[in-house]
Amino acid sequence: MKRYVLETRDLSFDYGRGARAARVLSNVSLGIEGGSIVGLLGPNGSGKTTLLRLMSGVLTPSSGRVMLDNHLLTKMPRRDLARRVAVVPQETRATFDFTVLEMVLMGRYPHLGPFELEGAADMEIARAALEATGTAGLEGRQFATLSGGEKQRVVIAGALAQASDMLLLDEPTTALDLRYQFEVLAVLKNLNASRGTTVVISTHDLNLVAALCQQVVLLKDGSVLAQGPTADTLNADNIRALYDVDADVRFHERAGHLTVVPLARH
Amino acid sequence: MPGTEYSLARGTSTVRSRLAWTLAGFGILALGACLLAPLAGGTSISLRNVFDRAQPYATNIDAQIFFIARLPRVIAAALVGSALALSGVVFQALLRNPLASPDTLGVSAGASLGAMLAITFNADVSIGGLSTVPLASFTGSLGALAIVYGLSVIRRGGTSTMVLLLGGVTLTALLSAVMGFVQFVADFTQTFRNVRWMMGSLDVASYAPIVAALVPMAFACAGFATLPRVLDLISVGAESAAARGVDVARTERVALISASLATGAAVSLAGPVAFIGIIVPHLVRLIVGADHRLVLPASALFGATLLIACDVVARTIMAPLELPVGIVTALVGAPVFLWLLFRRA
Amino acid sequence: MKKLLLLLSLAALLLTTRAVPSAQRGPVAPPPGRIVSLVPATTEMLYAMGAGSRVVGVGTYDRYPPEVDKLPRLGGLLDPNIEQLIAIRPDLVIVYDTQTELRRQLERAGIPMWGYSTKGLSDVTATIKSLGDRIGMAAQANAAATGIDARLQAVRTRVAKLPRPKTLLIFGREPGSLRGMNASGGYGFLHDLVELAGGVDVLGDIKQAAVSMSSEMVLARAPDVIIELHYGEAWPPAKIESERRVWSALPSVPAVRNGRVTLLTGDEFVVPGPRVPLAAERLAAVLHPESSR
Repeated sequence: MKRYVLETRDLSFDYGRGARAARVLSNVSLGIEGGSIVGLLGPNGSGKTTLLRLMSGVLTPSSGRVMLDNHLLTKMPRRDLARRVAVVPQETRATFDFTVLEMVLMGRYPHLGPFELEGAADMEIARAALEATGTAGLEGRQFATLSGGEKQRVVIAGALAQASDMLLLDEPTTALDLRYQFEVLAVLKNLNASRGTTVVISTHDLNLVAALCQQVVLLKDGSVLAQGPTADTLNADNIRALYDVDADVRFHERAGHLTVVPLARH
Repeated sequence: MPGTEYSLARGTSTVRSRLAWTLAGFGILALGACLLAPLAGGTSISLRNVFDRAQPYATNIDAQIFFIARLPRVIAAALVGSALALSGVVFQALLRNPLASPDTLGVSAGASLGAMLAITFNADVSIGGLSTVPLASFTGSLGALAIVYGLSVIRRGGTSTMVLLLGGVTLTALLSAVMGFVQFVADFTQTFRNVRWMMGSLDVASYAPIVAALVPMAFACAGFATLPRVLDLISVGAESAAARGVDVARTERVALISASLATGAAVSLAGPVAFIGIIVPHLVRLIVGADHRLVLPASALFGATLLIACDVVARTIMAPLELPVGIVTALVGAPVFLWLLFRRA
Repeated sequence: MKKLLLLLSLAALLLTTRAVPSAQRGPVAPPPGRIVSLVPATTEMLYAMGAGSRVVGVGTYDRYPPEVDKLPRLGGLLDPNIEQLIAIRPDLVIVYDTQTELRRQLERAGIPMWGYSTKGLSDVTATIKSLGDRIGMAAQANAAATGIDARLQAVRTRVAKLPRPKTLLIFGREPGSLRGMNASGGYGFLHDLVELAGGVDVLGDIKQAAVSMSSEMVLARAPDVIIELHYGEAWPPAKIESERRVWSALPSVPAVRNGRVTLLTGDEFVVPGPRVPLAAERLAAVLHPESSR
């Protein structure tokens, strides 16, 4: 019996109420193993962002449950949850001119008392997080002046500063160009390898999943199409079912992982 | 874009040391303003006379000018200035909009409408030491708060700040239209009184209205005290904040109510005073950075200082006549605001 | 040569003589029999000179004499009702000098008008005489003016030798507090009345009709007498008392210390018209209580 660090059972979610309710997720049951990198893959509107938000506790399920370490997520105190699960949103816009260090220090919030100020230990953790994401040199810079890739890595550092075991990322590379995609990929791989962080990524980038994720959950129209190890699950049939596109999936020697090449509309 | 370095030792110093420096610096400024302001005015008085115990108070003009005319004014200016500045900071964070101000959500307009209705319909109610117009004004602000609060609660989930912002702007427009109508039906004297009230005045001449305003301010400050760190988190994103353990809905409620109470107290004490609520947060952020644990207390102190200074100018620049303080804050505030806008662009 | 000079001087004369607008020349046509007065002061003047029967319409704020209550009200300074004005078929409309829009409209409608403006106390009698000329009742107007001057002079003489208290005349503030005080400054008919009634205007150096007062100014100028003017219905005694007590917030002011804060109600303080002698007498009674028998 595999031990799942995060598990959903018959999870459903509706947006809106009553007659205008739209079912976004239906009966999603999946399990995330500790220390794995899992991709939630699906086209736009498949419900993967909603699923991620349910997994982070921001949304409450319409039916079904989300369990974290066998505890019901909705019953967990917010601070406890924040200490175990950190979220990296797709885009972060700071209304005010915070520095990089200030942005990262905000990740320490779940560990501090209501009027407690960050101490030396918190500063160390924050700086270590910046190191881990390769952004240590940006410490005094204003967050708003950074490039897209730098911003994303700083936000990841902020999530790292939360010192949680699990990291949920929503479309982490969608807004980034190739170079920064590589940077973020490398950071996540490193985290997983060195700290054993469980990483869950919601994305529609097939090659990102192929390069990074050990497990993948395919979502279509709010339901799970297939889930399992990437090598088995990310195949031409499933891709056709998911995207209506014929694709060639093969192992790339030099890259060291699967690659997906879309060929034609089905 | 603004530079990467700021004064007051940012970046590597801890929040604790920066907080200490901030409070010390702004505190000294505010204290200085409080001590010097009562000495300034259209009439020259002698401090020796003011504190001369030998003269009976009942005939000591200098002492009475100091303790009745000037000191309450300075205290009222400090109270109103800090209330408006604090509300400005909180509204800007709550609405995630650096252009927000205490006027944005209509609380200020509600207070003005309350005052206008009391003036135009010659209402005559007084409770305790408070006369009709301030009472009606505060009631108006509570009414506006109730409407805005109701709006924010009706819509569950989704972007509540958008609803809040649009609702507040619409409410302000609606209340302004009603005020226009009230002006229309008012007679000559009432219109004159309305216009005077709208220009703002700190000439309270007694301590009773100040004590009365302290009551809602105390509640507001109790709310403000819980907000600094969570405002930082929320201003980066409501969902990020929630994912970090912030009770976003509750925080927004506390922020809305506290800032509205403070605004209501300020406007009913002194009338609508322009620009303090919107420029003080920006000026303070230029000096101490964006961390609300610094910005909130610093804004309170700087708002007090600024309004005290504006009131001194209002009292002395056309001596023996006195300008309404709202005119001075507008003449000072508008160019500063434009400058801030150009800096950002 | 002489003829040329004559022609030149004739031309010069003609060129420099401006045509006087018909509205301001003396009566050419029969004296106006349907007069509308939008200005309370001129309404009272018309009745005072015996032309009351000719008044067919008044302004919103006209209250004296009581006969005007039966007349149609046609607006005031800010909101004249032009349609009703024309419908009433007046042959003279008395308007404020500053009502330029109304004057334009009346000109278009071909209705004669008379512009009213005032600066100080002496303008009251000057206006009465001028108006009397305009409506063809010069004798009666002059008589009324003489009567007013006589009564004013009587007050002046009575208080001439008496000490002159420093006087502050307040014509508005927020009820229940000392906020929003408006006082009469060193200009205008109220100021002139105070000086005539034997007082020294503490704001005499500020040449404005209305001054926004602050509590510091009151304390600094230390008036011996404070007179508050109140319009509208008279207040019940309890209210008068409570409003007077508001001044106890400024105990060093001689007027407050000596209980010389008085509330006066009456239109004669608002309307610079034939009742100014009454205003002067009432002011003198407050300023010099011992002298008024």
